[in-house]
Amino acid sequence: MKHWLDGGGHDLDGLVVEDLTVRFGGVLAVDGLSLASPLGMITGLIGPNGAGKSTTFGACSGFVRPAKGRIRCGGLDVTHLPPSQRAHAGIGRTFQRIELFDSLSVIENVALGLEARLAGSSPLTAVLSRRGQGSAVAAAAREALTRCGLSGIAQERAGVLSTGQRRLVEFARALAGGFRMLLLDEPSSGLDGNEVGHFGDLLRDVVRSDGLGVLIVEHDMSLIAEICDHVYVLDYGRLIFSGTPGEALTSDVVRAAYLGTSPVELSATPAPVGR
Amino acid sequence: MRNFLPFIVVGVTAGSVYGLAGLGLVLTYRTSGVFNFAHGALATAGSYVFYDLWTRYHIPWPLAAAICVLGLGGLFGVGLERLSRRLAGAPAVVTVVATIGLLLGIEGTVAVHYGAETQLVKGFLPTSTFRLPGVNVGWDQAIVVLAGVAASAGLALMLARTRIGTAMRGVVDDPSLLEITGFDATAVRRAAWILGGGVAVLSGILIAPTIGLNPLLLSYLVVQAFAAAAVGRFRSLPATFGGGLLIGVVAALGQKFTSNFPVLLGLPASLPFLVLAVVLLGSRQATLPRAGMVRRPRLDRLTPLPAVPTAVLGALGLVVVLAIPSVMGARLPVYTSAAAYVIVFLSLGFLVKTAGQVSLCHAALVAVGAVAFSRLAAAGVPWPVALLCAGLVTVPVGALVSLPAIRLSGVYLALATFAFGLLMENLVYRTFLMFGSEGHRLAPRPDLPGLALSSDRGYYFLAVAIAGAVAVAIGLLQRSRLGRLLAALADSPTALVSFGASATTLLVLVFCCSAFFAGVAGGVLAAGNHAAGPAGLGSLQSLLWIAVLAISGNRLTSSAIVAAVLLAVVPSYLPEGWQNFQPVAFGVVAVVAALLAAKETDWVAAVKADLSRSPRRHSRSPGRARVTDPWRSPVASRQEAAP
Repeated sequence: MKHWLDGGGHDLDGLVVEDLTVRFGGVLAVDGLSLASPLGMITGLIGPNGAGKSTTFGACSGFVRPAKGRIRCGGLDVTHLPPSQRAHAGIGRTFQRIELFDSLSVIENVALGLEARLAGSSPLTAVLSRRGQGSAVAAAAREALTRCGLSGIAQERAGVLSTGQRRLVEFARALAGGFRMLLLDEPSSGLDGNEVGHFGDLLRDVVRSDGLGVLIVEHDMSLIAEICDHVYVLDYGRLIFSGTPGEALTSDVVRAAYLGTSPVELSATPAPVGR
Repeated sequence: MRNFLPFIVVGVTAGSVYGLAGLGLVLTYRTSGVFNFAHGALATAGSYVFYDLWTRYHIPWPLAAAICVLGLGGLFGVGLERLSRRLAGAPAVVTVVATIGLLLGIEGTVAVHYGAETQLVKGFLPTSTFRLPGVNVGWDQAIVVLAGVAASAGLALMLARTRIGTAMRGVVDDPSLLEITGFDATAVRRAAWILGGGVAVLSGILIAPTIGLNPLLLSYLVVQAFAAAAVGRFRSLPATFGGGLLIGVVAALGQKFTSNFPVLLGLPASLPFLVLAVVLLGSRQATLPRAGMVRRPRLDRLTPLPAVPTAVLGALGLVVVLAIPSVMGARLPVYTSAAAYVIVFLSLGFLVKTAGQVSLCHAALVAVGAVAFSRLAAAGVPWPVALLCAGLVTVPVGALVSLPAIRLSGVYLALATFAFGLLMENLVYRTFLMFGSEGHRLAPRPDLPGLALSSDRGYYFLAVAIAGAVAVAIGLLQRSRLGRLLAALADSPTALVSFGASATTLLVLVFCCSAFFAGVAGGVLAAGNHAAGPAGLGSLQSLLWIAVLAISGNRLTSSAIVAAVLLAVVPSYLPEGWQNFQPVAFGVVAVVAALLAAKETDWVAAVKADLSRSPRRHSRSPGRARVTDPWRSPVASRQEAAP
């Protein structure tokens, strides 16, 4: 299968996954997956439930150990780095199951997006901030809050917010981190239609102005069609399609994967799409 | 070989009781998600009541045993099920505090009612012997082993073959799914708790003739159960029973071998703690069964109090603190040690409340500080330097305790630190390294010309000043970058790590900071008493401290003061004989506090449950399929695949 970046020449900049294979015991969760998510673009990773999307994300951010393959970010091989080191390599992420610091305020949450990286693994930097870091962190947090329209709730405790707000806080935290690549794991799940629309606009705006790369796992096909420059479709851990969202929507292979059957039998079986 | 056989017989006898106790623990832990630190306390209550019924009321022993195992065990089971139902979904530290509260309550009640000293009791089983090749075996020993084996085999069979057994395994996987099939998950759990309670009581009755009736010793049967359960990786029943046997036999053989080496005398008795520590440290958390606990925000970080009342309150407090020496007279040393305990609780609170960690060995850290201080002071080091160095000497010990924290969390961390505290108490306290064979070391007060700091009055002010300085230091730490990172670590280690901070660094740091202040507290405490001794620094104290801290509120400084007053000051005002009720009271209040803590934040759990119940989460992705776990069917483990 031809990758859209083949011959593009700028594939070193973003996130590049080569021949990724992940096993859980005897189960092959991801099987020889290769994909590229360049800077300045939004790349979608879709597929039916259990296709291996979250596992791929886990492997990219260091929570899942791959059996084979290579993951690079900005030309740096991060395959064997622990999660904290991947943040230093420029990968930030959000979580399918929201992971906020619930007892801290919104602005503290967002500030930690950058401060956690500045703290790093040295005991010295974990206790003390260098000169100027404090104001840099505060500025980054304020800017991220403003962009996400969260300034009004900056002092609220993250634990008491609605799901929609929590998703946005998570995104703002990743934004404040100043990462080169953002991995967004189902950012629209739990949002209503209106919120999804706003989020799509925000994301496109961020990518256009900051030039960072986004790899997004999403079930909302209309959001994918609206914001993604390119999509990869997984099924049973294998890449079955790579192309534009428009092509994906009309692809027979993708339809078959989502419906679990050939189009001919469609009328006989109820469609489990978007369960 | 012939010489060892009698020891093996003794070991197998004790070991089958340990194994049995371990089985009850594993059964209730897996079905309810609540790890019962009071498992041994049930054995305590059961064996005391049994001997009361048998010797005092002359009820035939089989009937008395049946009353205890079925009646008392069942009663405990029903109560524990109600307790664990209310704790469901609470953070591990809350469940640990609740069952520790229960342990303190039961152990304390028994100690008050029957006395804390050991009563030797006659065995109720026939003591005549029969001959096996090479060794004489008592019928009582044979019966105990048979009872243990039969009860264990019965449990295993029940889980494997019966409907209720299947349901118990099902409730581990998915309670709501189980209810769809027509079972009442609560009733199933209750059955498991009743079985667990009965098994605990039975193990107490069986072991009592060997170790005598002693509330603390019997309650610590839970440690043998912990170790046996750890050998079974907290899931396998046969391996748990085997682990119990192994611990019994090795400890008995160890007794024979170490009888020639006085230094190692404490070793056989410490074997369960060693086994527990080694298994836990050797395990990755992912390989241990996870109880269905959700992480929830802690209760601190509430809206701060308005500035003016805080200032008024602070000024009032200062006046009280300054007035105490003039008002209290002979009771002043009580308040001096309260000041030292404020430092203890600040250091413990920093660990528990700020960083969300658990330490059940804090008394050992304080003891190390006390010893280091008195040794340094005895060597002629100036007083303030000796105090500071006492803190510094304790830091490496804190770093050692942080090792389990790096690999484990929640209840397993609590267990590992508890094991460490027990090891320190049993193996190290009496050696030359610490309190020595005399049991205490002299600790001087500072001697500054013109300041009379060595008088009770002068030292009181010094201790208060040091406590105040520590409170300020910890307050600054909380507001520093480290404080924010630790709060974040408590809420979501996953997120913090994926943003580039190192959880390992933070854990080592927080344990080292906490240990430093614990060491300082040890020095202040020792100098206050003119001597450093193990009294008040045993492993049970660590449990008591956690319970007291849990009931003292959520703000670090104020809770430390409240806890210190509750622990050190209140007992001195109780009428003669009432002091014994203090652990009972702490225990009861700790259970209540845990229940309140579990209740207060339930709504956040509900929100999270709502989120995780969104259908997308139940993906087909195989995730960490734990097919090796007989409690979980592969289908169910696949459902929790999402990382």
